[in-house]
Amino acid sequence: MTEPMTDIAAKTTPLVKVENLRKLYPVSKNIFREAHDFVHAVDDINFEIAPGESLGLVGESGCGKSTTGRMLTKLTDATSGQILLDDKGELIDIAHIQRSDMRRFRRRVQMIFQDPFESLNPRRTVYDTVAESLTVQRIGRVQEREERVAELLHRVGLTPPESFLFRYPHELSGGQRQRVAIARALVIDPTFVVADEPTSMLDVSIRISIMDLMLKLADEFNVSYLYITHDLAVARYMCDRIAVMYLGKIVEIAPTEELLANPRHPYTRALLSAVPVPDPAYKRERVDIKGGISKALNPPPVCRFIERCPRATDQCRTSDHPGFDDLGNGHLVACYNL
Amino acid sequence: MAQTLEIESRGGKAGTPLLEVQNLVMHYGTKEGDVSAVEDVTFTLNNGEAIGLVGESGCGKTSIALTLLRLLPDNSVVKSGDVRLDGESLIGLDEEQMRRRRWRDISMVFQGAMNSWNPVYRIGDQIREALRLHWPETLTYQEETERIAALFELVGLNPATMERYPHEFSGGMRQRAVIAMALSCNPKVIIADEPTTALDVIVQDQILRELKKIQKELGMSIIYISHDIAVIAEVTERMGVMYAGKLVELGSTIEVFHRPKHPYSYLLLKSTPSITGPRRKLAPLEGEPPNLIEPPSGCRFHPRCPFATQQCIDEDPPLTTVGEGHSVACWHWQEVPEIGGLQK
Amino acid sequence: MADTLTPPTGELENFDPQRVVEEPLWRVRLRLGWRSFRRNWALFNDNKMGVVGLAIIALFGLMALAHPILMATIWSNHLEGGKNVYDIRAGADSIIVTKTIVEEVTDPLTEISQIEAMFLGTGVNIPEIGDTIESPLANPAPPVFSGVKHPHILGTDPFGGDVFSQLLFGARAAFLLGAIAAISSVALATLVGTISAYFGGVIDTLLMRLADLVILIPLLPLLIVVSGFWNVELTMLGILIGILSGLGGTAIILKSQALSVKVKPFIDAARIAGGGHWRIITRHIIPNVLPLSFLYMMFAVTGAIFTEAALSFLGLLNIQQSWGIMINIAHTQGYTLEGFDVWWLMFPAGLAITLFSAGFFLVGRAMDEVVNPRLRKR
Ligand SMILES: Nc1ncnc2c1ncn2[C@@H]1O[C@H](COP(=O)(O)OP(=O)(O)O)[C@@H](O)[C@H]1O
Ligand code: SF4
Ligand code: SF4
Ligand SMILES: [Mg+2]
Repeated sequence: MTEPMTDIAAKTTPLVKVENLRKLYPVSKNIFREAHDFVHAVDDINFEIAPGESLGLVGESGCGKSTTGRMLTKLTDATSGQILLDDKGELIDIAHIQRSDMRRFRRRVQMIFQDPFESLNPRRTVYDTVAESLTVQRIGRVQEREERVAELLHRVGLTPPESFLFRYPHELSGGQRQRVAIARALVIDPTFVVADEPTSMLDVSIRISIMDLMLKLADEFNVSYLYITHDLAVARYMCDRIAVMYLGKIVEIAPTEELLANPRHPYTRALLSAVPVPDPAYKRERVDIKGGISKALNPPPVCRFIERCPRATDQCRTSDHPGFDDLGNGHLVACYNL
Repeated sequence: MAQTLEIESRGGKAGTPLLEVQNLVMHYGTKEGDVSAVEDVTFTLNNGEAIGLVGESGCGKTSIALTLLRLLPDNSVVKSGDVRLDGESLIGLDEEQMRRRRWRDISMVFQGAMNSWNPVYRIGDQIREALRLHWPETLTYQEETERIAALFELVGLNPATMERYPHEFSGGMRQRAVIAMALSCNPKVIIADEPTTALDVIVQDQILRELKKIQKELGMSIIYISHDIAVIAEVTERMGVMYAGKLVELGSTIEVFHRPKHPYSYLLLKSTPSITGPRRKLAPLEGEPPNLIEPPSGCRFHPRCPFATQQCIDEDPPLTTVGEGHSVACWHWQEVPEIGGLQK
Repeated sequence: MADTLTPPTGELENFDPQRVVEEPLWRVRLRLGWRSFRRNWALFNDNKMGVVGLAIIALFGLMALAHPILMATIWSNHLEGGKNVYDIRAGADSIIVTKTIVEEVTDPLTEISQIEAMFLGTGVNIPEIGDTIESPLANPAPPVFSGVKHPHILGTDPFGGDVFSQLLFGARAAFLLGAIAAISSVALATLVGTISAYFGGVIDTLLMRLADLVILIPLLPLLIVVSGFWNVELTMLGILIGILSGLGGTAIILKSQALSVKVKPFIDAARIAGGGHWRIITRHIIPNVLPLSFLYMMFAVTGAIFTEAALSFLGLLNIQQSWGIMINIAHTQGYTLEGFDVWWLMFPAGLAITLFSAGFFLVGRAMDEVVNPRLRKR
């Protein structure tokens, strides 16, 4: 397993650099009037991912993880902010990308989806699915594409490839489908892959082999992952660093083991303390927080966590949402009362 | 016999057998063949006890729950075996007799239950309806309301919210209300099939804690069903591990976690990531769960088992006792190494 | 599915991708197509309703094929006044002379002949029982199989046209009309539905309001008006029905199907691969809508046949011959109320319309089970 890359972002130029990224969804009750209400799905987030590094994005459902991933893959347009991608020394701003750069961008950034049953077109064979980006971008001759696809199938463990090339998704199990999805993402040799809960629909016994495969391929293909998950144990296994999101904000980022051993944000603490541990003899220390997650509909400018925070003070009530404090070692926390 | 309005478990003396499942075999008939979803399963739930059933999806956990509740689809056949509640066979009951026992004697909390509230009625009124149908005596409106309020209090909901409609509740609140409903008629047994699977971890944790507290306070008997061994570790005292329709290991939760005797349990534990303890390499379980229409011969786990021998392919291992209250169905259980807690 | 899921330890050195891809791609696709056809056929075949429907359609297919063959062979030499008697429009058997065997001397026909014979004083043989006499039959004539110059196995229409020939030809017309209407209707509905679902926004609003409008206008009365002004023949009618039904309800149904496909993650995946709108619509959405489209094609045939029958019955169409026209002629010549006595005028055509429509409807229902797995019996 790769060792945690402490401070890696500081040593090299980042592959992906996200600056003040926001996504607001208008909520309008009337199609004729302009919307006044907005859900702040992603609200002013900043992070970097180094080449070859994998960053985990964790948080509860609805906190904006997937929206972030979709903005990075350009499935959703950002409301404001920048997403800078390093393409061989040249920076492309994904958020404001030119049409002419789109092709280049599609070669660099790929995605793996959550649901292996829905992410493959049921009417297309494994070959068609995996070769799609090669076909669309007219890379190679048919024969070469076939060989590349066969090679990828081999690499993701669908062996022998000839017995998988022309199967339809319904002839594959969940684990095999996810392998196809991984092959599809890597066939074009990307540098950055967004993986949105790629193992959460799989059974435990299959989950580990898919996670191991993704780790191995990250090395072989030298790709970086943005690994989105709600499961901290999975993030720990997969990621060098973890970013914790709450209602559209990143509240804490740190190298994985540092975050688990030394969580500083009250929300991270509560989250960690709520994860069930697979050992009946282990007694968890509980951090109680109030209520459940709410919706970020027109949130006031103060700390997003204020309603549930056991440590909130007057400063929290009167100041804007806190910015990052650098605790050293690449550990960043957004909270006034550490 | 006057019923008290207390919320309680109507089970018997703690530790005595309450629900006995004996050699249960249940198949689904399909066009491709018989799906052997539950194969020769035997276990007992004692009064006041929380036990768990764990296994991958499709291994037959839900099928067992549905058999216990007799809520099986039409294409299912209970081939043999028996389910006894307080000594009375549930398999032999006709539909009307069974209907009277559901909710009243044996109630349920399902994974999707929080989405099964009827959107046009208030939550409180839907529980009231259950009380009217299943409570043995007629209660006054006031008594019903008081009882519902008490139930809400118990599961951590504000009683005032009983006037609300399902869409005004969050997922977690709806699932709490489902638990209130399950408790409404003082059942002897609650079957909770993946009760928190669709919920976020913080809410899951709150609800599991609530359930555990209720179970302890009322001396309720609960069967937890989950694919997540960490959840089972949290809330149960004894547990069974299922694989491909069979119960392969049964024992106290702590024994199974620390000294699993079945290779499948062992690998399942070894392949579960955790946020505590040292960061370690996980052991992947090779292969995939078998097709239950033509399950593997002998031991159903043999195609994936690192300990498998010719004997495993030829003969089906019986459930044998390997320690106090600990039994396992494996020919080579002695070879399975000790884990001694994941935190070590 | 017991598959090996060993992690890919095999190094790429001992793996030769070229070995893997020996078979040309088009052959593979052909093989896959054939396989999936066989599987769907097996599902379809399970449903007896569909098989009955298909048998009915096949029967009509044979009828449609039989007509030109019969015209070229058995019926080719039956000329009268320079025209073929069996020709579906021009052909007319002006008077049929049947030879019958006298069974009773009190037969009114023979009595008349007797009186005539006496008046005329010629030495006409007075027929006796067992004699063969010739007697003329006025049109419409009942079925006559033999003993005449031109046999009419389903009789003739009021103008002496052969009903059987018309019936066979009607099957051809029905297939032609059904095919044109179904294909144009479904092609249009699929396109409108998918485009509307995929782009949403203004395009969707416009197309859907158009659909509402088309649904509001009742098809039949509109066609009645249209055919009152224009000269509507078969192809034109097919296209008209196709457009009107394709823009209405079917488009809305196919749109909702397309909507459910559009939100699937595999559409996102296709976008990430770099696919443009057109590629996503044609390669990813339409193939997943197509099974439902085929289903509606079957129902469109049924609709088209009924519409044609109704318009023909009202005499509003300029088409050569069809089942509807057969009924129309019987009606306009005043035979409607003598249904049972001249059954061959309306019954065969009416039955053909009903059976033909039923055939396609049954096939549609059976396809529904193939297309919608939810309806499948276990
Ligand atoms: N109604 C049904 N008809 C046929 N097979 C079924 C039906 N319900 C479940 N099964 C099959 O029975 C097996 C056990 O399913 P289930 O009890 O739902 O497992 P679990 O709850 O452990 O996921 C699976 O192979 C499943 O596909
Ligand atoms: S800033 Fe204040 S309210 Fe926000 S997390 Fe920190 S202590 Fe809590
Ligand atoms: S009986 Fe054999 S195959 Fe089955 S679990 Fe035990 S060792 Fe493995
Ligand atoms: Mg289940």
